[in-house]
Amino acid sequence: MSGYIAVGQGSCGIAAGAANVYAALSEKLADRADIALKTVGCIGMCWLEPIVDLYDNDCLTARLVHVSPADADRIVTAAESGDLSGIADLVITAEDSAFLAKQTRIALRNCGIIDPTSLESARAAGGYSALAKILTGEGMTPEQVIECIKVSGLAGRGGAGFPTWFKWNAARQAPGDEKYLICNADEGDPGAFMDRAVIESDPHTLIEGMLIAAYAIGAREAIVYVRAEYPLAIKRLTRAIGQAREAGLIGDNIMGSGFSCDFRIKAGAGAFVCGEETALIESLQGSRGMPRLKPPFPAQAGYWYKPSNINNVETFANVAWIISNGGAAFAAMGTPDSKGTKVFALTGKVRRSGLVEIPMGMTLRDVIFGIGGGIRGGGSFKAVQMGGPSGGCISASLLDTVIDYKALGATGAIMGSGGMVVMDDSTCMVSMAKFFLDFTAKESCGKCVHCRIGTKRMQEILTRIVAGEGVPEDIGLLEELCLAVRDGALCGLGQTAPNPVLTTLRYFRGEFEAHTDPEHRRCPAHACQALLTYSVDAEKCRGCTLCAKKCPVGAISGTVKQPHAIDKDRCIRCGQCYAACRFGAVIKD
Amino acid sequence: MSQIHFTINGIPCTCEAGTTVLQAAKQNGIEIPNLCNDESVRVYGACGLCAVEVTDDGTGKALPKLLRACSAKPQEGYVIRFDTKRAAQSRKIALELLMSDHTGDCRGPCQLSCPAGTDCQGYVKKIAQGDFRGAVEIIKQKIPLPAAIGRVCPHPCEQNCRRGLVEQPISIAALKAHAADRDLAGDTFRPVPLPDTGKRVAVVGGGPGGLTAAYYLRLKGHAVTVLDAAKKMGGMLRYGIPAYRLPKELLDREISEIAALGVSMQNGVRLGKDITLQQLRDEYDAVILATGAWRSMAMHVPGETLDGVTGGIQFLHGISSGEGEIPDLTGKCVAVCGGGNTAMDACRTAIRCGAARVSVIYRRTRGEMPAEVTEIEESIEEGVSYEFLANPAEIIGENGHVKQVKLQVMELGAPDASGRRAPVPIAGRFKYLDADLVIMAIGQTPDTAGLDGIALTKKGTVAADAGTFRTNLPGVYAVGDLTNRGASIAIEAIGEAGRCAAVVDAALRGEEKPYFAPYFSQKQVTAADLADREQQPRCPMPTRPAAERRHDFAPVNRGLDNETAMREARRCLECGCHDYHECKLIRYAQQQELHPERFAGAKNAHGKEQRLVCIERDNGKCILCGLCVRVCEEAAGKGILGLVGRGFPTVVKPEFDRPEVIAGCRDCLKCVQACPTGALRQITE
Repeated sequence: MSGYIAVGQGSCGIAAGAANVYAALSEKLADRADIALKTVGCIGMCWLEPIVDLYDNDCLTARLVHVSPADADRIVTAAESGDLSGIADLVITAEDSAFLAKQTRIALRNCGIIDPTSLESARAAGGYSALAKILTGEGMTPEQVIECIKVSGLAGRGGAGFPTWFKWNAARQAPGDEKYLICNADEGDPGAFMDRAVIESDPHTLIEGMLIAAYAIGAREAIVYVRAEYPLAIKRLTRAIGQAREAGLIGDNIMGSGFSCDFRIKAGAGAFVCGEETALIESLQGSRGMPRLKPPFPAQAGYWYKPSNINNVETFANVAWIISNGGAAFAAMGTPDSKGTKVFALTGKVRRSGLVEIPMGMTLRDVIFGIGGGIRGGGSFKAVQMGGPSGGCISASLLDTVIDYKALGATGAIMGSGGMVVMDDSTCMVSMAKFFLDFTAKESCGKCVHCRIGTKRMQEILTRIVAGEGVPEDIGLLEELCLAVRDGALCGLGQTAPNPVLTTLRYFRGEFEAHTDPEHRRCPAHACQALLTYSVDAEKCRGCTLCAKKCPVGAISGTVKQPHAIDKDRCIRCGQCYAACRFGAVIKD
Repeated sequence: MSQIHFTINGIPCTCEAGTTVLQAAKQNGIEIPNLCNDESVRVYGACGLCAVEVTDDGTGKALPKLLRACSAKPQEGYVIRFDTKRAAQSRKIALELLMSDHTGDCRGPCQLSCPAGTDCQGYVKKIAQGDFRGAVEIIKQKIPLPAAIGRVCPHPCEQNCRRGLVEQPISIAALKAHAADRDLAGDTFRPVPLPDTGKRVAVVGGGPGGLTAAYYLRLKGHAVTVLDAAKKMGGMLRYGIPAYRLPKELLDREISEIAALGVSMQNGVRLGKDITLQQLRDEYDAVILATGAWRSMAMHVPGETLDGVTGGIQFLHGISSGEGEIPDLTGKCVAVCGGGNTAMDACRTAIRCGAARVSVIYRRTRGEMPAEVTEIEESIEEGVSYEFLANPAEIIGENGHVKQVKLQVMELGAPDASGRRAPVPIAGRFKYLDADLVIMAIGQTPDTAGLDGIALTKKGTVAADAGTFRTNLPGVYAVGDLTNRGASIAIEAIGEAGRCAAVVDAALRGEEKPYFAPYFSQKQVTAADLADREQQPRCPMPTRPAAERRHDFAPVNRGLDNETAMREARRCLECGCHDYHECKLIRYAQQQELHPERFAGAKNAHGKEQRLVCIERDNGKCILCGLCVRVCEEAAGKGILGLVGRGFPTVVKPEFDRPEVIAGCRDCLKCVQACPTGALRQITE
């Protein structure tokens, strides 16, 4: 039998132990020529890592999940015999397979399938054929390329959703010979990792998309701004750039077309705001990463004040496919407002979490329940947070909202970069809002007043509310501040920072009111420790004394076989009694 | 270049294409607030104050977002406004946020505690420099009667003076009196009123409040008539304050200065008797009521109507003004009830009338007395005795004349709303005090006879709006002791009258400009913060010996000489920001009512940091506009300064937080000149 074994080694797989699995398999296969061992990227099924795929004649025969190095022997045995019975326990279930079956993968088309360290592997999957299409033979003019992208309806996948062709065209039309193409790979939204997955799993697709864009706008230099926290991505991209340069795909006179473009990587230093395009440009220039005022837009005055175009990784990852298959094929997917597919990082209290690429127009319910399998644990769905710190939460009543830019925007949330965090009823929405404000306040660059001080004050108000020190007036104050910061902040980070608060106020105002109720402050989700009260249900209490023994501050009194009582003034709300009681007699409120 | 036509706040403007809204506004004589813009450096866009709304982009559509005037460029037909609710709210919140993280004193505690907001630090500084006229010019921006007020004011400024944390406060009141005396003695400062407006204002009541309102309205060009029921102007300053505190010739001089501006003064006219309010309303464009509070409050004890029982103000009226005879109290026992300054005036006047024994009856102890400490001390020197923790329970008479006061003995209980411990009667414990004259000085209420149709408060005072000073009758305003909370100190009435004059002036010009308290940043300072200051004791006010002064009504205080005044003035710590008059932040902050305390939270505590020999940086006042950093790099070509840290704790420091780069500084001072606040300062020593 001729086949190979592929080990998913994105950062996520490696973190789950894939490198050890690879090493164990490599040892077993050291003297074998018949079964090859390959590294592939991330297939996006985080909850199943490490994942090992068995291929026979380039055909996937089995996907093995939760693999450990100890399984190496029987995997090799199965691979050589073709008999999977020895590894039946490792084979993915039909239910889990459905996670992929319901997706449509364009940006992620090669992720987890090809070897990201090999140019041949990329070319075998069609890599650089789109570039060849525009540069060789009949070819395409830059205007035709832009028109094709226009027809496709591709919009910026980094968050803003601005039509890609429009930016390209503006940069193309801008006067000047010196133009730059920049890829924003400073993926910073908590919970979003699709860009990392693309670079780690399929770097040549990114390079090809960028070369096409550089050709379209007339840039001779392309720069990838990657966050330094992505070392594996940088390593694989560096290697891929080297391979492409060696193959004549980067550099002077590419494919003999006369089109020249050089490539380089700039590692970001960890500031979230550098994902904002003008701050990114400042950082590229060696300045402090702070946003510039727009206008002028980068297309007019960007890197070194020259016309520049900046797109996100996922946006570029769609480009070659669109050129190869035509803009109309891409536009055939989606809704009248939003075309094509979008990658989401589905996380939180969902049964199956990972990267999900779906055509626009699916509903949130399709994604969370159909693909994600619904809520993990015994809880019920409460909300989904979309778009990270710039986004908002959507309540259960809006689960049938279709995924497109307009419909999501109407809910107060945003498509954003594709973070999708599912929350169940144990989540306190005020704490959730505070979590994001902690993030944005910390990540504010400090330039504009509304963001520097405004997000700090919002964070302070939220902090006192969850600490049980809030007053009803805090809600109005918070709202006023949110609207002012949204209106007055300089860049996207500040303008969208209030979104997590505004949407929770919109859908879960009652929770804010409960937290600040002067009569009885409480956290309806029972998540804010400062607001909990513990008491003993005398009917249920058997007087076993366990809770009193567990209590670290001696707040529980009572005699054996008699109902116990908790001294609320002494109680430090640690919850040990609640956890210890075997009769459900401790009431948490 | 082609010309663009547009409007800003409704004013038609033109500019060349490519000009920013901010530049265009400036070229057209309009100032759009901004803090981080400077034409010598690149547009930055940090402060957000220049937010404008385009309510019509020339096609009938409004632009959805607020624009920053510093970067946006007008297009043909744009209707630009920075006075819309949305733009104003954005600006207000930005200012509130900035102020919520501002550590500094815009003005010293002296000025902030002065009910009239007098720039004490400003005139004390002038005195320190020997510029007495300059001092009076500053004082007269708020107080038209400085010689009188300098003598009678209980000076809250001094109580709050930070020098008091070092040893003793500056003698602010005495300095004011000194400057004013010198001014009256020589070439008196007399401001010039604006051209006549043709508007007429009647002020009823010629006390400190009424005279102040008249003074400032006259300076605005209005024709002002002051009407007063008494023989002469001055109100309580003339009829309440004894001459040993305020010589009446001085008062006459200061009043004549007001008259000299063209204020018409009519005495002997009582409202409701000689003229009605309606007549005034018919005849004048505005009427300001400032008739004061002249009725002594009753104690509501049996025997109050006996012969020999009188009110403090009634007792002082003829004696203080010199219009009545000085009663001969030789051999008499006088009991004065009350612990305030009127009680002090009454007891010390009684001593001067020859009384054998004068006792002040006060229900708490000396420490709680509202009267000035100096007054209490001087009264004791002059022979006044005190009955503390005693409250009149009954005035006992004989043949219809007072003979004794029965006193309920009190003790101090828990603190009351004022923070002072409340006096509580000890059941059944009384004592008796012989008295030939009982003077009730426990407070005054206004006489509202003649104020037909005017709405009153529950206290019986005239109800006046706090921001507009309007009564319920259109065109009728009211200030001072007559209104709301009732009787207070003269400087309160002066402060209110000054603010009222501004509101009335605006109203006469057809504008509505209600008063709101301007915002000032204030810093908390403790004695420990001032521990490094050298002790320089306060220059004492020379007084005549008690044995001499208790027999006459000549001034107790001898006054300061020039040198002493200047030495005293030099003790000033100059707490208020040196940059106040140039500070753009405070100028914009005071353009609307601001409440940064709503956003009170963490403050950056980077503190003061000295840089080289000639520039001092106070990070508490830094608003991170980045101008110093940018001019250093872009205009001075040095790049010595940098923003260090991110987000809220960002601070301006030597670039990359490397102190050694300071060596490149050549003290060009471009940063100091660019700073819109008082964060950067050139130090000269």
